[in-house]
Amino acid sequence: MITAGIDVGSLSTDAVLLRDGEVLAYSIVNTGAQARAAAERAFEEVLEKAGISLSEVDTVVATGYGRMSVPFADGQVTEISCHGRGSAFLNPEVRTVIDIGGQDSKVIRLDGQGNVIDFLMNDKCAAGTGRFLEVMADRLELSVSTLGNEDLKAEGAAEISSMCTVFAESEVISLIARGIPRPEIVRGLHRSIAERTAGMANRLGIMPRVMMTGGVAKNPGVVRALSEKLGAEIVVPPEPQIVGALGAALIARKKRSGKAV
Amino acid sequence: MDLNRTIQNLLKDRGRWGKVLSSPVSYRIVEGALALAKKSFPWQAIYQMSRFALHQTGRAYTGKVPVVWSSAFFPVEIAWGLQLCPFSPEVAAAFITGMGFGPEALSMGEEAGYSRDLCSFHRCIAGAARAGHLPRPAALLASTHLCDGAPLLFQNMAEIYGAPCFTLDVPYTASREAEVYVAEQLERLWHDLAEATGRRPNRASLEEALRHSNGFRKNMIRANELRCRVPSPISGNDMLAFIYLFFIGQGSREAAEISACLAEEIEEKIVGGRWGGAEKYRLLWLHLKPYYSNEVMSFIEQAGGVLAYEEFNHIYWPPLDPGEPFLSLARKVLAHFDYKPVEERIRVIRELAEKYRVDGIVHFSHHGCRQSTGGSLFLKEALQEAGWPVLLLDGDCLDGRNEAAGGMLTRLQAFFEILEERKEGCLI
Repeated sequence: MITAGIDVGSLSTDAVLLRDGEVLAYSIVNTGAQARAAAERAFEEVLEKAGISLSEVDTVVATGYGRMSVPFADGQVTEISCHGRGSAFLNPEVRTVIDIGGQDSKVIRLDGQGNVIDFLMNDKCAAGTGRFLEVMADRLELSVSTLGNEDLKAEGAAEISSMCTVFAESEVISLIARGIPRPEIVRGLHRSIAERTAGMANRLGIMPRVMMTGGVAKNPGVVRALSEKLGAEIVVPPEPQIVGALGAALIARKKRSGKAV
Repeated sequence: MDLNRTIQNLLKDRGRWGKVLSSPVSYRIVEGALALAKKSFPWQAIYQMSRFALHQTGRAYTGKVPVVWSSAFFPVEIAWGLQLCPFSPEVAAAFITGMGFGPEALSMGEEAGYSRDLCSFHRCIAGAARAGHLPRPAALLASTHLCDGAPLLFQNMAEIYGAPCFTLDVPYTASREAEVYVAEQLERLWHDLAEATGRRPNRASLEEALRHSNGFRKNMIRANELRCRVPSPISGNDMLAFIYLFFIGQGSREAAEISACLAEEIEEKIVGGRWGGAEKYRLLWLHLKPYYSNEVMSFIEQAGGVLAYEEFNHIYWPPLDPGEPFLSLARKVLAHFDYKPVEERIRVIRELAEKYRVDGIVHFSHHGCRQSTGGSLFLKEALQEAGWPVLLLDGDCLDGRNEAAGGMLTRLQAFFEILEERKEGCLI
């Protein structure tokens, strides 16, 4: 049985194909301005990578903020359940999932079977998310993917107290004007994200093992800052960005077969 | 064509909607239109209540009867007992928002200097009042219990209108001394209010108001008992409309009659076997709901969720004794389970969750509402320990300008997925 999961996020759209519980292929594309077109592109790409045709896919489940914009999906499930399911599949010992995506962040508590028992989702704004890092990277003339390496060069961390993206950007401008080294500003930004995320995680209650998913988990600077703040080891899967889509594909499998995943 | 949207667009101009809102003629026209649509109402009790609300509000704008503003939890029987015209600015704020004029009223309140951290009901009231869109009060009645922002707002509004503001000081702990303290204030207030509004204090009239209030209480208890049936005989969203009677109707003959009609209709529906549908998730709903959009309530309904019971419709007070009006109204005020250490609210909510056999509990955490949201984490922890999934749904009843609807719906859908998993073992 082949199932697919499509995670339409604000910055990236990810697709995963599963055959009998094994990942066949995955794809990651930019969402851009059209969620539906992004979903189609991600799906075409993953089919091509796996070398299979659309007719061979038994069930498709969509997730993410654009989950309702996937016309070929057989069902829609929230990214909260999908990240929970995907994380438990990758590591059955995981009890807490921290997902920092493009425009929101979530903390998810799982039971021993990978079921979500509670969650918290940031509200109001994109502070402390992928979009926050994009804005700051742009201001620092860096690409998001190099922020982690920049952090490694730091000898200290600049103090960034604002949680709001706009105010934090003003702080970064002031720090640049004061000649603070760029790596220290980057580390300060990572600590600022960690501070905000840890607050949310502690509100829900941290239970080991902790897994971090979503695009921001690719940034080792954020992972380290968050791990230090929480006082807990954080497991990062090899491709954290596709965990939501993986969960969606697993849920599609369950929907099709009635078997627990 | 969406008639509501067309009317809203026509009235969007700042002056125009205010003029329409504050004209008694508007209420007579809508009341007439409502009468034509009587049969289309799913519940005649809702039809009657809508007419009562329109009639009362229109009357408040005529200037022919002394209007008293009454804050949400003030024992409004006092005003009915003096045959005054009670007006709830909080209900008016929800109405203004429901009509689509909330953002403008909120902006006017903020322009007047009210912080955006203040409860949106109060900002909306301040904005609409300063623009002259609310009926001029002869007096204002506020209570310090539960909604502690109201007395301060009302004092502020009293200055605008040059009307006296009477504040009922309610102690946090119920005791015999507290009952006497509140009762003495109420008696004094009743006399002072009569003097301020040119009414003669008439004990028989106050006693009658208390009898009506008891009628309302008894009927709502009956309706609430009938609502224990599974599936639910009436939608919780419909039931939330009766907040109007809780805020402003207690002590009126109409509230007693409307609540009797409600209980009878629910009973008829059950006896006739004409009720209920598939219920996937039975919810206990705490606090109010968003009034700027129906998206949340529609989503719940479409997902197969029902509000089996609402905290705001709960009757928590003992019957009133018309022979001891002030003392029994004091007991009523002091009996509120939310105006006590959080353990009492937890106890009541647990009882309700069991009684209404709910699958989960949603606490709509209205921004700026300290009395409700302040204890929500304790509430969540205790209810989860007792076995109920709890969702703290952060949002705002009136101010939709900072709300991402998608995020709120995602939280609700994820909560439903948790409920589904619990029912099915491992659904997904």
